Amino acid sequence: MRLVKCWFCSSTIYPGHGIQFVRNDAKIFRFCRSKCHKNFKMKRNPRKVKWTKAFRAAHGKDMTKDKTFEFEKKRNRPERYDRNVTENTLKAIKKIDKIRSTREAKHIENRLKPNKQKKFNEDKKELNNQIDLVRAPGVSEKVKVVVPKIKSVQNEAMEE
Amino acid sequence: MAAALASRFSRGRSLIGSLSNAFSGLMNSSNGIMNGNILSQQQQRTFIQMGTTLKVVDNSGAKEVKCIQSLKANKKGARLGDIIVGSVKEAIPKGKVKKGKVVYGVVVRAAMQKGRVDGSQVKFDDNAIVVVGIKEKKKKKPEENKKNKVEFNQPTGTRVFGPVPHEMRNKKQLKILALAQHMV
Repeated sequence: MRLVKCWFCSSTIYPGHGIQFVRNDAKIFRFCRSKCHKNFKMKRNPRKVKWTKAFRAAHGKDMTKDKTFEFEKKRNRPERYDRNVTENTLKAIKKIDKIRSTREAKHIENRLKPNKQKKFNEDKKELNNQIDLVRAPGVSEKVKVVVPKIKSVQNEAMEE
Repeated sequence: MAAALASRFSRGRSLIGSLSNAFSGLMNSSNGIMNGNILSQQQQRTFIQMGTTLKVVDNSGAKEVKCIQSLKANKKGARLGDIIVGSVKEAIPKGKVKKGKVVYGVVVRAAMQKGRVDGSQVKFDDNAIVVVGIKEKKKKKPEENKKNKVEFNQPTGTRVFGPVPHEMRNKKQLKILALAQHMV
């Protein structure tokens, strides 16, 4: 059993899924689902289709260079079964997966970080320049009006 | 899938069924073009049946073969790995096989997908055969022919071009696998 990558979207293809297309020059194209297969038939370039891994790697959206990727190389030599090796490999897979996903999240966070400050500055500028959209320009702040006590008028009325 | 449905409805009349498949395919495609959405009309690949032209990918002499009969019991037609009887429509001038000869061929590449034991599907770019026998005019005693079931194992050519699938191993076409450049 071997897990392969979809040629179009680079997701893993598990056994029993997808279609394998063999071109006459003996190049094999594996597709994880008919969505990828149909896009291929339309002659679309995966590096230009936004939702594929190829696009994200080509445009620096996702992490590409990391040592954790080297663990997942294609090996053609079959390994002799050793229980300890299998056990350690399974543990290692989980750990490496965790490390890789945290690193990928960090990469995306770092990519978005400078934009946060930029956005804040833009918002501040907008607030200063276009405050008239919120408050009318002529209106001043709250003015205190002193109301005098008018007791004498009331007494005069009652006397009459 | 539409073709499979159509052929299921017309059981005893495989020829008419195949013709109706062709017509329905044409109708679908013409309607699609008329509606303006060519991209949504995906090509439905079906079996190799009478009238299918196949490419010959060995150096036996033939270039193109038109299928006359699929030797498989399946009424729908031949698939990847099956043997067909065909008439040579195009051949190189000085070859073993001449134009107009009736030959037996093994389908080594089929545009219709074939399921593999691990659950995946494989499909190729075109329909191609390797010539494994030439039909001679029967003038022998009928007893001899009925005795042995003829096995089509030995290709008439000495080279095979293009990729060849693993399915040949199941079909006992080991010579073809040995001659193949690429195995898929």
